[in-house]
Amino acid sequence: MIICIILLPLIAGILVPLLPFHKRWYKELFLEGAVILNSILVWYLLLHHSESTFLLAHFTGDLNISFRVDGMSMIFAGLVSGLWPFATLYAFEYMTKEEHENTFFLFYTMTYGVTLGIAFAANLLTMYFFYELLTLVTVPLVMHTLTREAILASRKYLYYSLGGAAFAFIGLIMIIVYGNSTDFILGGVLNLAKVGDKTNILLFIYVMAFMGFGVKAAVCPFNSWLPQAGVAPTPVTALLHAVAVVKSGAFAIIRLTYYSFGTDFLRGTWAQTTVMIVVMFTIVYGCSRALKETHIKRRLAYSTISNLSYILFGAVIMTPLGLMGAITHLVFHAVMKISSFFCAGAIMHQTDKRYIHELNGLGYRMPWVFTVFTLSSLALMGVPGLSGFISKWNLAEAAVDSNNPLAYAGIACLLVSALLTAIYMLSIVVRAFFPGKDFDDSAVQNVHDPNWKMLLPLCVFTAFIILFGIHSQPIVNFFYRVAAGIY
Amino acid sequence: MYLILLPILFPILAGFAILVFPKEPDRRLLTATAGTCLVITGALVLCTLLSASQELMLFHLTETLPIYFKIDETGITFSFLTVIVFICAGFFSFAYMKHEQNEKRYYGFYLMAFGVLNALCFAGNLITFYLFFELLTLSSFPLVLHTGSKEAIMAGLKYLFYSLCGAYASLFGIYFLYHNCDTLTFTAGGVLKASAASAEGRFFLLIAFVMILGFGVKAGMVPMHAWLPTAHPVAPAPASATLSAVIVKAGVLALIRVVYYIIGPDFLRGSWVQTAWLTLSLTTVFLGSMLAYREPVLKKRLAYSTVSQLSYILFGLAVMNKEAFTGGLLHVLAHGFIKGTLFLIAGAIIYTTGKTRVDELRGIGKEMPLTMWCYTIVSLGLIGIPPTGGFISKWYLATGGLAGDIGIFRYLGPAILLLSALLTAGYLLPLTIQGFFPGADYDYTSLHRQEPCHLMTIPIVLLTVLSVLIGLFPNIVVAYLTNFVSTLL
Repeated sequence: MIICIILLPLIAGILVPLLPFHKRWYKELFLEGAVILNSILVWYLLLHHSESTFLLAHFTGDLNISFRVDGMSMIFAGLVSGLWPFATLYAFEYMTKEEHENTFFLFYTMTYGVTLGIAFAANLLTMYFFYELLTLVTVPLVMHTLTREAILASRKYLYYSLGGAAFAFIGLIMIIVYGNSTDFILGGVLNLAKVGDKTNILLFIYVMAFMGFGVKAAVCPFNSWLPQAGVAPTPVTALLHAVAVVKSGAFAIIRLTYYSFGTDFLRGTWAQTTVMIVVMFTIVYGCSRALKETHIKRRLAYSTISNLSYILFGAVIMTPLGLMGAITHLVFHAVMKISSFFCAGAIMHQTDKRYIHELNGLGYRMPWVFTVFTLSSLALMGVPGLSGFISKWNLAEAAVDSNNPLAYAGIACLLVSALLTAIYMLSIVVRAFFPGKDFDDSAVQNVHDPNWKMLLPLCVFTAFIILFGIHSQPIVNFFYRVAAGIY
Repeated sequence: MYLILLPILFPILAGFAILVFPKEPDRRLLTATAGTCLVITGALVLCTLLSASQELMLFHLTETLPIYFKIDETGITFSFLTVIVFICAGFFSFAYMKHEQNEKRYYGFYLMAFGVLNALCFAGNLITFYLFFELLTLSSFPLVLHTGSKEAIMAGLKYLFYSLCGAYASLFGIYFLYHNCDTLTFTAGGVLKASAASAEGRFFLLIAFVMILGFGVKAGMVPMHAWLPTAHPVAPAPASATLSAVIVKAGVLALIRVVYYIIGPDFLRGSWVQTAWLTLSLTTVFLGSMLAYREPVLKKRLAYSTVSQLSYILFGLAVMNKEAFTGGLLHVLAHGFIKGTLFLIAGAIIYTTGKTRVDELRGIGKEMPLTMWCYTIVSLGLIGIPPTGGFISKWYLATGGLAGDIGIFRYLGPAILLLSALLTAGYLLPLTIQGFFPGADYDYTSLHRQEPCHLMTIPIVLLTVLSVLIGLFPNIVVAYLTNFVSTLL
């Protein structure tokens, strides 16, 4: 079943250029059908999963490629499979203005399978394998427009990701040598008898592996690939560079910290302090850069950098509550950021405007898009009643609960970042809705909202932003059980 | 039971409906709708205040974060002020907004801010309060930038970001308080756990200070007062009136809630936080008056005056005894009515003459006698001359300060209040003097009566009368307040 889920998008993707679609909507139907079918299968699996591990291939010793459904994978797979059908629908409309559509959908759909592979990986080796694969299938998507800028961006993305994975690989080796197995077990697999007096070396390796996986999660100083990769078509930026790829990085770090090294081993050490400082710095750094950026997608990309470090901040608190905060933000931020990116994409698609100072007065011409954008901005700021408040609340409460003075400073970073978020997001909203009295309306006379294929995903995501904001109990309870190891 | 939601939801939904209405409607229809909505909301608030059901647990954001409303005396006091000022300023806008554009947007956000303020008054715990505190900022900043000039937009953003900065500073405190309080429901005397107060006392004093600074932003307390003199003058006059009379009072309400209902005055009394708070508020009192005294533009002068007068209230809160607290609440009402009137008068002057600077207004009293009589009366009130509202409140503030156990501030406080009263006379009365006694060289031939229309004068007169009534018959209000303050402190 798991294999089926991972292979289905891969095959569907490969079939796109091979099958003779006479009309465009046949292709749309085929792709959307495949993606929806796969999402249904994923949800079926999540609801009826068994505890057993599925072994695909066996290498030497206890090295193997195997899959398993546990709490974390349920969350990540559930999130990805929930977003993908909508993102595909959006992409159909968006790609009408771009070339090489088949190549695009080939890799776009394959990425779905690979991401699920990361989610369902049962051990570090499997995850590492799919993690590398993810880099490879997404490089063509960044390169898509084949401009010089895009090629440079994709090359940078490739080098950064592969370099990061190499560091992470060292972590993998260490787990193989000093662990009982490479399987993911909440609490860690390190064999303390084997570790002996090499604690400091292992901590050093942890920091290296953290930074390695952190490349995809865009921690400072390895984040410059992400804003550059914004040259990709918006569905890619929105789904991959705000959710699937970057959150794979965060997901991998959570696996590494909680399921391989184990928090008991790491908590209170200099390694925790180091990574926490890096993460706190990234939170503020990302926001400040977003403030300076005038290109709308790059601004959102810097905002993603900052928000990814919110997730990591929760993760490196290294308590169950911290993990819960991290998971909450992982899921909630995905919805908020994908909807703001989709708004940016809709604006680019309808008006060809890319810079913030060009957005004056568009709010009245594209009311739906800008309403959604406003709501997602408010959610990102953490206004109560929207989902961002809940995830920040969970993160901050975890930090307060940890009794770690550095984490207290982290709360301050979160709030500084919230203020900066308000500044860089609301300045867009204000421009759009309050263009000033000398604004000439005739310049944007022909602009209007996009069609339903773009609006439907936006509305659905907004509904979830509000729903999670005012009624988060069931899902947060589920996150709590995952973090406590009940699932 | 759900009655308490009506005065909150009705104006918010009505405002939202006006906002999303597809085209700019006919002006008369729009004002009629907005006026009806204002009156209905006022009636709903009254019904709610009089009704038996005084609390409502609406739903839970998370398991432990309820949205909870409860009406208590503090809320009633603020809600009383809100309703009167919002309705008066609302009707004033029907005349004033003729010469502005985008009236639909104005009334939409005006009604929404009204609803949010009602919610703020009725909020029963800190989370609910924080939710509506943020919403208040978001629904009122469009009023500031309404005119759409570059200056107005920058002022609106300044207001927005200052307020959010303050709100986030307070949120920092809320995170820690949540963890160290049994509940965040407002309870007289505070809910901070005794264990936390004793074990980590120094840390929680710091938290309290951060929260005072944070919520103090909205109340225009130094060092974060700079938004106020920028934002008030650019907003349309009725919006400035509500801003100055009510919306900034949300900061005062927040400080009352946090200090008296969550952290508890006993924990802060005698600590460095109290000293710092007293110092900051007295600095603001003096600084605001001084800046107002030097300011030539009328609306900006009034804005600086607001900075100063709000810190009278904060001084009363910081003393933390019964008299001073009563004085603070009285000054909330008195200053609300007076400053509302003053801003409306400034609006009436701008509307009829187009003049904004005080030195341009020679002989204005001959042209608009009724308006300027009101101006003079409320000015006397703000200075604190009996028998107006300002006298009573300042009396309580000063006696409270003298009775307080606050070291040097016992004498310093009342002295600065008096000095500031002198400055208040210095910055308010010149307009009266110039207005009524323009001097021998004044050209009486060009003078013509141009009293504004009734839609403008009636709200002004009404608020003036209220501010005098509070001073003439203070016993009802004072009895009500002292009665409940004695249970609180």
